[in-house]
Amino acid sequence: MQQRSSLPAFALVSPVQLMVGGIIFLPAIYVFWLSLHQSSFGQAASFVGLANYAKVLGDPYFWRALFNTVIVVAIVVHVELLLGLLMALFFASGIPFRALMLAIVLAPYAVSEVSAVVMWRYLFEPDVGMMSRLLGTIGLPPIEWSVNPSHGLLMVCLLSIWLHLPFSFIILYAARLSVPDELYEAAAIDGATGWTAFRRVTLPLLMPALLIAALFRYIFAFRLFSEVWLMTGGGPARTTEVLAVYLYLEAFRYNSFGAAAATGWLLVLASLLLALFYLRGLYREMFGKHA
Amino acid sequence: MRKLPLSLLKAIGIVAIVAWSILPIALIVLSSFKSDRDIFSPSARFSFMPTLVNYELLWSRWGDFFHGLWNSFLVTLGATLLAVLVSLLAGFAYSRHAGRGLQASAFFLIFVRLFPPIVITLPLFPVVNWLKLNDTHLILILLYATFFVSLGTIVMRTFIDQIPRELDEAAMIDGASQFQIIARVIFPLAAQGMLAVAVFVIVYAWNEFLFAFIFTTTRAKTAPLVVAEMIGAVEGVEWGVLFAASAIQLLPVLAFVILMQKHLVAGLTAGAVKG
Repeated sequence: MQQRSSLPAFALVSPVQLMVGGIIFLPAIYVFWLSLHQSSFGQAASFVGLANYAKVLGDPYFWRALFNTVIVVAIVVHVELLLGLLMALFFASGIPFRALMLAIVLAPYAVSEVSAVVMWRYLFEPDVGMMSRLLGTIGLPPIEWSVNPSHGLLMVCLLSIWLHLPFSFIILYAARLSVPDELYEAAAIDGATGWTAFRRVTLPLLMPALLIAALFRYIFAFRLFSEVWLMTGGGPARTTEVLAVYLYLEAFRYNSFGAAAATGWLLVLASLLLALFYLRGLYREMFGKHA
Repeated sequence: MRKLPLSLLKAIGIVAIVAWSILPIALIVLSSFKSDRDIFSPSARFSFMPTLVNYELLWSRWGDFFHGLWNSFLVTLGATLLAVLVSLLAGFAYSRHAGRGLQASAFFLIFVRLFPPIVITLPLFPVVNWLKLNDTHLILILLYATFFVSLGTIVMRTFIDQIPRELDEAAMIDGASQFQIIARVIFPLAAQGMLAVAVFVIVYAWNEFLFAFIFTTTRAKTAPLVVAEMIGAVEGVEWGVLFAASAIQLLPVLAFVILMQKHLVAGLTAGAVKG
């Protein structure tokens, strides 16, 4: 039996609500107001309508950043889910030293973006890095991440996948563990093993977890800032910027607050749009029974 | 007949997973004990004369880094205490009370998680300056805690849901108030959940870069920021010193995550399933 909501309940949730409302929600709403005004530090703002949006949407650097973001997110999230799924199935198939292996797989979760950049730069340092030498030995061209934009973004993808694979893996592994063994036994009796069992039993049952992991990773990968900033700084010549880096540069380097605010609001809208189905499902689950 | 290739396949899988997850970390730590000429030498990759020269250089030339570590420690401690406390209170309320208003506020918590952090730096930057909160521990503590209270509340609620209600009811009959129930009944039994929340916040606050980069400059500058400066001192990255700093920055939290593995997994699954 749950009690009816009462004054104490609201008092208990108020610290959390105040923090989230005052530090995230209200400022985000204020960004919308900013995006409709022309202002910079120490000057009175004047209403300019959608001019900031027009400016941003007419800026080729914005489109470049958007394009880079979409490419990076698509690569990172899908590779991560695929690897996470493979690893979850691998772990579930029974491996030696399971607890130790779990600790090893989780290790990158503890690593900061900064330290990860140090590691991957060291491995791929032109000519002398371990991976650069390895690529040379097997006859592949070197990764010139500091001069070639697509190579720079490739490094960012690698780095992000490495940092966030533990998250996708854990979600999928937990989901896989909750599939009862009887289902596989029943499937085996019906003659379904291997690939068929995977397609008919594992995949459908893991689908909710896959969707949740994908959703969270889309939303979080979309915010990507530190990896790019520390790896390439958006360069050379602004070719590897992603949206968050573009926003940062507009606001804090080019002093173009209006354009930055417009970019920020576009980021918010895109995040909400990505999460629309999730939010709708959640809303129905929470309020559906009463409606 | 078919067993051999299968176990071989498994061995390959295990080697690949270990190499992928651990090798970059191991190389950093190993290389922090190498002299300059061994750092990029393939023959000295795993066998070399260990030296502490990089740590000595770090100590003598980058006092900033150790100040940064101290700042990181204070900020992490503050953010963790704050986030765990408020998540415990809210998690309890959402677990034990119902109603449309409360449901709406739970929905709001999840909704707000979708806002990208960089967006709010725009309006906060001038406000933080005006309040003289820039370059203080307090602003980082507030920001870090705020970005994890949504997840923290969801995780706490999942854990508190598992504590039998009869226990609160018994305490209530004895005349205990809501706060007394939380302090005496829930607090000791929800330790697992609080640890799970703490792991998230500690890892995040210890490693965070974006907010520290925007809101701190000298006094409250955190360790990742100093490491980033060392990377940025390019055209002469002193790799050895950089490795020493990275190793010191990452080893404590790595050890912590391995120690707290169980809680991390429990928290990740509780957070993802519900929210």
